[in-house]
Amino acid sequence: MPTPASPSASASSSHRRASSDLMVRIGSADSEIKLRALRELKNQIIGNRTKKLFFLKLGAVPAVSCALAEAQAQAQADLLVQSAAALGSFACGFDAGVRAVLDSGAFSNLIALLSFPDDKVVDAGARSLRMIYQSKLAPKYDFLQEKNMEFLLSLLNSENETVTGLGASIIIHSCETVVEQKALCHAGVLKKLTSLLEGSPSQKDASLESLATIIKKNPEAASKFVSESRRALSSVIDLSKDRNPRTRLLACMCLIVIRNTSPYYLQEIGIKTKLVYLLLELLDDPGQVGEEASFAFSSLLAQKEDLQKLAFEANAIDKLHNHLQKHLLQPRRYQGILLALAELCSKLESCRSRFFYLEVLNLVADALTHEVADVRTAACICLRSVSRSIKSLSAGCFMKEMIVIPLVRLLHDPSTSVQVAALGAVSNIVVDFTTAKSTFLQCGGLKLLVQLSKSMDPILRLNALWGLRNLMFLADKTCKKGIFFELTAPSLSSLICDPEPSVQEQALALVRNLVDGCLDSIEYVFAEDGIILDAIGRQLQSTSKAEIGIQGMYVLSNIASGNEFHKEAVMHQLLLHVNNGTQAFILKFLQSNDSQLRTATIWTIINLTFPSSPGASSRVVKLRNAGIVSQIKTMVNDPCVDVKLRVRTALGQFMTIGDGST
Amino acid sequence: MPVRVVESSAPSQVSGANSGKTSPPACTLLSVGQAFSGTQNVSSIQKDEAWRVNVRIQGCDLEHGYLCGTMEALNVPMADTPVVTFWEGEIVDTINYTFFTGKWEATPEDDKKHWDKFPSFSPFKGQVEFDGGKNLDLSNYPYIFMRWKEQYFVNVGTDCGLTIAGFYYVCFSCSDGSISGFYYDPNSSPFQKLELKSTNGERSGFSFSSYELQ
Repeated sequence: MPTPASPSASASSSHRRASSDLMVRIGSADSEIKLRALRELKNQIIGNRTKKLFFLKLGAVPAVSCALAEAQAQAQADLLVQSAAALGSFACGFDAGVRAVLDSGAFSNLIALLSFPDDKVVDAGARSLRMIYQSKLAPKYDFLQEKNMEFLLSLLNSENETVTGLGASIIIHSCETVVEQKALCHAGVLKKLTSLLEGSPSQKDASLESLATIIKKNPEAASKFVSESRRALSSVIDLSKDRNPRTRLLACMCLIVIRNTSPYYLQEIGIKTKLVYLLLELLDDPGQVGEEASFAFSSLLAQKEDLQKLAFEANAIDKLHNHLQKHLLQPRRYQGILLALAELCSKLESCRSRFFYLEVLNLVADALTHEVADVRTAACICLRSVSRSIKSLSAGCFMKEMIVIPLVRLLHDPSTSVQVAALGAVSNIVVDFTTAKSTFLQCGGLKLLVQLSKSMDPILRLNALWGLRNLMFLADKTCKKGIFFELTAPSLSSLICDPEPSVQEQALALVRNLVDGCLDSIEYVFAEDGIILDAIGRQLQSTSKAEIGIQGMYVLSNIASGNEFHKEAVMHQLLLHVNNGTQAFILKFLQSNDSQLRTATIWTIINLTFPSSPGASSRVVKLRNAGIVSQIKTMVNDPCVDVKLRVRTALGQFMTIGDGST
Repeated sequence: MPVRVVESSAPSQVSGANSGKTSPPACTLLSVGQAFSGTQNVSSIQKDEAWRVNVRIQGCDLEHGYLCGTMEALNVPMADTPVVTFWEGEIVDTINYTFFTGKWEATPEDDKKHWDKFPSFSPFKGQVEFDGGKNLDLSNYPYIFMRWKEQYFVNVGTDCGLTIAGFYYVCFSCSDGSISGFYYDPNSSPFQKLELKSTNGERSGFSFSSYELQ
């Protein structure tokens, strides 16, 4: 039985009817009807994502694309302008729209509009193409083809500002490699862009962004830009004071790129301070400029202690803290502020002290459970930075449930980048000098670290092992036992022989910490028929990397500081390869260019020949027979003070033990 | 066969040709995890007294002339448990820090008086008096001069009746890992001597652990 339609259902169906009617009109043979329909469609979808999606599903894009092609064939300017504008609106800030426009084949038709004799048509085509080039989905432009470069230059030389803007957008979108940067420089693009810095507001913005793209990580381009025209750099500096916040931001970003690319420019304290204050001010912008300012601020501070100090003096921590306290932060802004704090606290203890004083840690802890993965990652990176404070680690600032529980949860986050960032923070926090390492174990952190140390992903494996190595540092008996039984001797020996050298290094460093401290802990390397010790011996014999040699030799040195049985086991590993024709690793290490490796090796000898140990004398004889004593004698004037002093200790011990030939 | 050890550990002035690295050498005995034990003489006119002291190095950043760790005083009369403090050290490297303290109520005269108490300081005396020793090359010298300043109590409250207002002038021997120091606090007995030796517990040899921050 039919029932009366509800008012909303009725409205919806009338809307659908109207839309279908609009679609029919777009396909009309009457150009007046078609023109009106295109205009109506464009007006409906501008700035309305829902409408864009609705018409996309109705198949509007191919219909408009068809209208564009027909109008092109008949050179109907009004229709061309309206159809290009409608396609541009679909593409504006909407990737599904961009994809539909590209799939409809309209892209080449839009390019063709740029050669149309009517300026309005050219402008509409350029505007529409700009929208497309703002998306990652836009096709990559090949600058290396001569005719493409000529076309790009014709765009940049155009009188029409939309067209020059399109040229800039193409550069921003497609210039990715040094070869492409060079090609653009060679074609004179830098000069053209520099002249556009004096143009309209939109040309200034487009030029600033394109310049940054071409100069980024290319010192040659930076130098060409600065030297080509005296005005070039000062124009960018002037634009950092522009009325428009977006222009100020882009000018700052361009200056940061120049500074980070070349050590010769913008090193004066004045400009550095100005950039810090400008970006801190731009952070207050409520829109996209404010969001992007935090990322620009991070790139300004990255690895630069002097700038971090200036930012600290400009109260940057307080300012970022204020932003972080605001409710309902947009995820991108939230992420940017956390990353800026991370950079700021990456090197200087003064920054970290302020961070703790303002209790920013609580806000960062909240971000660990944010629904957006990028925010969680940023929170972990921030935590990793502030946990470089040994003063705070020693005060037990991080081994709290508020931090440890959410952080451990992130170790099995679905996103690998969150997992890696969480492991970075965990690795620092577990160094903990208080007796609270057990908090981490009780929260299930150990099990997860061990699981991740067996991951197929080498980055996860490395970082998990790094965490375990730091957890093992000065750990008490119970903690060591817990780690060892969770990890097991076979796993540990296979990690020592991992295909990745960085994993091998961390595995050896872990064993080094395992056998440090209480004398009983040395026994762990003899578990399961000594598979760990054998793996170490094999790795030391085969490695060519000093870092691996250093950690491995400290393992042997620590074992050699134990009892007679331990010392003899080390002797066995050292002399295993002496008589089989290959050079023993101990001799290779004593002759190494790496002073730390020589130091670690000499410590092993010192421990093996420790005067109070009963077998020291026989070991000296064996070491002498293997040519090790004579090698050490050649090192009395080693250029490294630490090595020189240890060599003296070793020689002193050989003399004390004495067998008449030292 | 015995060989002659070349003595090349005398301090030198930084010349134009050798103006690279001048800071003290890295020393494994002063690396993270290393432990020291000994005494601090806290005698006053009334009585002779020494507290047993344990030190553990927790952080070392030679580039910034920074060292830190904990200090545990064992037989402190007014405390029920050993008292642990966290300290931060300034390494005299003529880059980040010089022999002159410039803070903590220490005048250049106080500095000279205290440094003078270390026999290993004598080669520098003239130069320090002349220009503060700012051009000294300490990179081959087997002693490291430092100032250690306690920052907070780790296991007791600030109401424990103890003070950490002062700081230590410290001299570390790279050869054997021994440490001597003098506590300076204008309000405490002068020249309280700290004497520590590198320790490795029950081991017959030296053991080294390590961590690496990300």
